[in-house]
Amino acid sequence: MDWMPIPTAAEDEAELRLTGDFDLYHAPLFSAFVMGKIETGWKTLLLDLSGVGYLDSTGVGSIIRIAQALRKKGSKLRIRGLSGSPRRVLEMSNILPLVEETH
Amino acid sequence: MKSLIIRKLIVDERNELFDAQGMKSVEFPSDFRRVREYAAQVLKDCPDDFREGNLLEQQLSEIIKNGIKHGNHCDVSKTLRVWYDLRKRARFIVEDEGKGFTELDAWNEFYRKRQTALFQEDFDSFLALASYRGPQSDDTDGGNSLVAALEYWNGGMIYNQVKNKVGVVRWFSGGSDIAKHS
Repeated sequence: MDWMPIPTAAEDEAELRLTGDFDLYHAPLFSAFVMGKIETGWKTLLLDLSGVGYLDSTGVGSIIRIAQALRKKGSKLRIRGLSGSPRRVLEMSNILPLVEETH
Repeated sequence: MKSLIIRKLIVDERNELFDAQGMKSVEFPSDFRRVREYAAQVLKDCPDDFREGNLLEQQLSEIIKNGIKHGNHCDVSKTLRVWYDLRKRARFIVEDEGKGFTELDAWNEFYRKRQTALFQEDFDSFLALASYRGPQSDDTDGGNSLVAALEYWNGGMIYNQVKNKVGVVRWFSGGSDIAKHS
């Protein structure tokens, strides 16, 4: 899985576009990257998942950790472009109430 | 009206889900890097209707990962055995050589609290409880695979007494579609 920053209006408002498999082999590295950024400045984050075709429980765990870290900064993780089996996995894990979906 | 649904992981040594008669089986060394490859291999002749995109592969991968990682501790000299039957429904038995899922009762209690917080719309508590963290959890453990599994395996998810073997079934809707695979 790759992730690409999308330019935003403010430095502490981040947006990332993810492509590939958000799975047990890629999610830990992604988590570490984002958690580091939240610790050092990011206050909001929008994840564009339209390029993610596979999401597993490690990926869901990564989303939960990010949502928890952002909650401490007073914001809710935003997600865009969720469809197919990744949406089903988040639904079955009951995680959708923890994030804000945008279009 | 929404309802509070609390499922449970169940131990039942004699459950019919452990009857492997007529099932095919395959054995894998416990190589963590190959978890998804193993799932794909088991499903290579799976009917497309059962795949639901990559959902079946993903859910089978989770069970294989649990056996390889938590059961066999990624020791490649240890074997993971998978029985499978893809006629009419997707049915699997996965057995590792480990000491079993000793945290099963603790997980059930975690799940009860998690679902209750969600039902009460107590999102701060729910967020704190979203992932199960056991003594052996690390960064590759999402801590939520069993939550989705209990919903996905709609025909049952049962552990044996030692808890190193799990039997699962998923039935699919659309009876006439399923009949052509029988």
